[in-house]
This record gives sequence, structure tokens and C-alpha cells, in this order.
Amino acid sequence: MLRGARMTDRAPLLQISDLSIRFAGVPGNLVDGISLTLNAGETLCIVGESGCGKSLSALALMGLLPMPPAKRMSGQAIFEGQDLFDLPLETLKDIRGNRMAMIFQEPMTSLNPAIKVGEQIAEAVRRHKGATREEARDRALEMLRRVRIPAPEKRLDEYPHQMSGGMRQRAMIAMAMANDPALLIADEPTTALDVTVQAQVLDLMRRLQRETNAALILITHDLGVVAEMADTVMVMYAGRIVEAGPVRQVFEDPQHPYTIGLMSSMPDLGPRGGRLVTIPGVVPPADAMPEGCRFAARCPFAGPDCAIAPPLRDLGGRHRVACWRAPLECGAPDLIAQGVAT
Amino acid sequence: MSSPDLILETHSLRRRFVTRKPLLGPPVEVRAVDGIDLRIRRGETFAIVGESGCGKSTLARMLVRLIEPSEGTVLFENRNITSLRGEDMRAMRRDLQFIFQDPFASLNPRMTVGALIEEPLRAHGLGGPDERRTRVAELLERVGLLPQHADRYPHEFSGGQRQRIGIARALACAPKLVIADEPVSALDVSIQAQVVNLLQDLKDEFALTLIIIAHDLAVIRHMADRVGVMYLGQLVEVADTDTLFTRPRHPYTEALISAIPVPRVGGPPPGPGLQGEPPNPIAPPAGCRFHPRCPYATAICRSTPPSLVPQASGASVACHRASELVLQGLRDTGTGRSPAAEQRFALYRAMRAQREGSNPSVSQHPDPEI
Repeated sequence: MLRGARMTDRAPLLQISDLSIRFAGVPGNLVDGISLTLNAGETLCIVGESGCGKSLSALALMGLLPMPPAKRMSGQAIFEGQDLFDLPLETLKDIRGNRMAMIFQEPMTSLNPAIKVGEQIAEAVRRHKGATREEARDRALEMLRRVRIPAPEKRLDEYPHQMSGGMRQRAMIAMAMANDPALLIADEPTTALDVTVQAQVLDLMRRLQRETNAALILITHDLGVVAEMADTVMVMYAGRIVEAGPVRQVFEDPQHPYTIGLMSSMPDLGPRGGRLVTIPGVVPPADAMPEGCRFAARCPFAGPDCAIAPPLRDLGGRHRVACWRAPLECGAPDLIAQGVAT
Repeated sequence: MSSPDLILETHSLRRRFVTRKPLLGPPVEVRAVDGIDLRIRRGETFAIVGESGCGKSTLARMLVRLIEPSEGTVLFENRNITSLRGEDMRAMRRDLQFIFQDPFASLNPRMTVGALIEEPLRAHGLGGPDERRTRVAELLERVGLLPQHADRYPHEFSGGQRQRIGIARALACAPKLVIADEPVSALDVSIQAQVVNLLQDLKDEFALTLIIIAHDLAVIRHMADRVGVMYLGQLVEVADTDTLFTRPRHPYTEALISAIPVPRVGGPPPGPGLQGEPPNPIAPPAGCRFHPRCPYATAICRSTPPSLVPQASGASVACHRASELVLQGLRDTGTGRSPAAEQRFALYRAMRAQREGSNPSVSQHPDPEI
């Protein structure tokens, strides 16, 4: 059930097409031909392992990727009718922290350690809304209350180091949401947190999103988080989208061998089984990306044709996969005949 | 007192750290580990879980005396290792090995991988140079690397490979007990699965007893035979893994389990969750330390600390209300994937097995990356 489905008759909030990014001195694209569409109120989860390009894509979107050494080879990102890659820096600064905001895995890297938390939130409000000091401080207090920080009046005048990890993450969410952004990008927001605090932060993000109808891009490697949060999911491997679609379809009808490998290498919570199924090998290094399918070297289904990069095909219902073998049953009739896979 | 199947025991193990020494008045102390009694059985995998700051890493380090206890004893094979000195302790370390979370921080970057794995052998005077070299090659192969990797340096390896090196080093002297502190939490999901499998294979092959410290409950569910749950320096529940996950007896265990995100779409919604964060360990609450966050707390919980009491089920629980509360286990047992997904998983497994021959042991396919 897409919360943003009713918006589809209008233009999407964000439409990225064919985004490719490369770094000086590295021959291949580290983000290679990413396209996605996001509607208001919708949650997109981007899943993948280190080096898959999920954080790079997000940083590029925010205009936070230093160029050079990074270089955009191609692509557009239409956000509320404007191409983010085609804006003067001043205009981008007006959008950033206002219409779209980002939160990071480690709040200490984005909170200024020398400024009180309340002032940091208020600063964002004053910068973008032209509010007075008092108005901005009131807004900061309201935001701390909304992210359920206990004793918010007291916390306004604390420095980030005086807060616990979970509290800092809430403060950062308060800051990001202070101007009611239409788009929130969260890069592994709960990875550094304990499981109980993670549950609180996820619940908080869901609630704020419901209240403001913001769209959320949530970058994570935890498929449990994806199942709980996502409307749509995008699986990335080595800079490319390998599979994308509505979360139910991707989980219940996974098509790409990497998606399947990733799902089966996570220990499930069922009765204890034997060995985990693994994906052999490691991600190809940035300077040695293969020409064809980038997963082929680790893929048990790979064949000679995988030397040509498979396109991202639509299987219907917005479920897309980049694999010559999908659906896999058709490629392995002998195994089906032996009954292993039925 | 001790029965013969116990390999390691602790008695009232405590560790205090001084956090601050004010000019006037007594130093401010934090009781990181506050009275732990563990009974580890030979050959089992025992997991210790808890939130950050609960003292689990301090406890793990005390078991091998990387941190000295303030009070209490650690018995390894009925011998009190807390009082061993010099050569005796060094000999004991052969049997007790430690695997660290961050394999990069724990491997000397200026030593080759071969020298790193050989170092414990040399330290314990095991074998001559040739024997040691052979042993290093064997170990490298056993953890899924190649013998020629002995001449390389740690920075040339990925995180997963470095963790394999750390494991080879820990196994070099054929220890009896290995303690692993968050051995896979710094690794990517697919690499994590490789290392989890490797640890399980090696445990069987070397007849190890394994103590794992982890915060990922899914990994624990998969690997451990028994689990000890820690909260603010104390054990609140010890039970065998299946019992703990399906029928937790301590409210904190219930809260931990309900917070696990379940990788199933449309599964039951997450529970109300635990409110608040762990209190300051410098001034833990009176009574049961969990009571300010516990939805079931009553008057006695606020005044009297409960002790860890064995239950009829074999579990031990530190909760005044353990016998009356009926708590919720896993919301979803992970079974019941869609048939299409199940079929693809089976196909994937079959295809992997076919490509690699019938024995998918780690040693059969060394990491192809280097």
C-alpha cells in the first residue's frame, strides 16, 4: 500500500534519471545510470553493501559531493520542478536544509560540537524562514518536543557531547525536520544505535513523516529495517541498480541473484538452522569494475552472456531487475527437474 | 562444587573504573561489571548480549585478563586464573584466545600476515621455524585465504579478510576457548555470513568452546547454544537460545526481542518498544536496575534488587515477577516466506552447490579477490 500513491497523477516530487558519477583517476563509474522516482509521502529504501554507491548518490543529490575529485558524467535530478544539478550554489543552499534535508549515521559529524543544540536548530530556521531569534528558539523547542527528547527546555542549552547517541540522533532529526522539508534523506540513521533505540528512532521517523507527508529516502543495509519502513526498495550493487520495486514484490518475488544472496545470507529468526548461504568473494574494487554485469564474478548463475551489462527491465508493476537470467527458474530447468527448487 | 563439563566459571566478578577524581571527596566510580556468575560448558557457544555500555566487552576482556577484575574470580578448567602470574599466565593464554571487533586495529600494520599468525606460536615456543611456516600456511588455507598471503600486510586486505586473519591468529596455538567480541558487526551482510559460517566450522573442527559478544540478535539466534542477557553490568537472564527467543522470562529480554526488525513485509507491526535509554551506570537506579524502563515494575522492584534465580525451565532470571509474568517472544519466527521467494532461495543454494562441488566448506574456495 503506497501512502504516496494518490500523488501519482501529479508530477513526482523527485525524479532522478541516468545519474552517473565517477572519480578522478578511477576508470569506471562508481554510480552508474541510476534512475528513480519518488512521490510525496513515500519511503524509498536503498539497500546495498559498502561501496555500492548508495551514499554517493545521496550526497550528489544534496550537492555535498566535492567536485572535483567527483564528476557527474550524466544525469538529471528534478526536485519540485528544478534540476538540482543545474542550480547555482546559492539557490541550492536555499533548498538544502529547507525543502530537503539529510541525516547521517553519526550525528557528531554533522552537529557542531561547539554550538548548543537549540541554537543549531534555530539557526536553520532563521536562515531559511527569516524568523526572529525568539520565533526560531520556539520552533527549536517545539521540534525537540516533537522528537520526544525528555526535558526539551533544558536540552536546548546543551552541547551535543552532553547527549547520548540516541538523543543526538533525535536532535539531528529535529534539525533536519525543522523547516518541514518535502524530502528527507537518511543515510544509515540507526546503524550505530542499539536495537531498542533503533526501534524508537524508526518509529519517530515514521510518525514525523505521517504528520508532514515528507518523502523519505532511507539508506540501510538491514533488510529488517527495509521491511518495516519501505514503500519501495532499490537494491544497489557496485554502483548500479540491480533490482527495484514495491517492497512486497521485491521481498516476496526476489529476482536478482544478488538480492536473493543478500536475503539468504542474513541469519533469519526462525528455528536454528545449519550454515548460512553466502555470497562468495567480495565486491570488485573501484578501479577494476567489469564491463558487463558487475555481479557476475560472484553469481552462481553467471554465463558468457553476462559479459554484456543487462538492462534494468520492467517486469510489470514497477518491479525492475537487471539480470539476463530472471526469472531464474527458466534458466535452470535441469535443477527444477531434479526437484531441488520446487 | 564444579561439575566436570564446565570449562569456565566466574564468581561474583566485578570491575570498577574511576571516571573522575574530584579535588574533594571520593573518586567517582562506574561499576561496569557488577557481580557476574557465569558457567560456560565445554563445547558450547555462549553469547552475551546487551546494549552498549552494559559491560559486556569489559566482562569478555576480564575472562582472559585483558582487563583485571576488581573483585571475584575466573576459573578456567577449575584453576583460578585471576591469581596466576608470569609464566603460568602466559601458558594459560595458549588455551584462551580473543578475537576483536576491528581486525584492523588489532593487527600490527608493520608485520606481515605470516609473521602475525606465527607470533603466538613463537611466543609459546611451539615448533621450529619450518614447522611454524607450515602451520601458518595451513591456518591461512583453513580460514579461506591462500598460503602466499603470508607475505602481505594487513592493509592489503578487506575487512572480511582481515577478520579471517584475526581468526587464524587466534587459532594458531590450538586454544580450547575463544572469546569473540562483536566478530562480525563491522562487516557487510554477505561477508558477515561468510565469517559466521567459518567460525561455526572451526568450532566443530577444533572442538572449541566459543563465547560471543554481540548486539545483533539475529546472529546470536543463529550461532549460540545459550545466551546471557546483560543490563547495566549484571546478568538479567541466562537461557538456552530457543527458550530465550520464544519464551523470554525477563522484561528486558522481551523488549530486546520486540525491537528486532523482522525482514518480512506485512509481518506483525513492531511492538510499543522500550521507552527511554539505559540509565547512567555511575548512579544505577535502586532496586532492580531495569525498573525505570520496565512496564511491569511494582513497589518491590523499586526497592529490592532481584537476584539471578534458576527456574524450572533451566533458565535463570533476575526478576521479582518472573514466575507470574507471561512475556512475548519473537513476533515472527521467520518461516512462511512466500513460495516464490522460497523457490528462488532453494535454486540459489542448489546452483551454488553445483558450481562449487558437493562440499561447500570455506576452505574449498579461498577468497578469490586477491
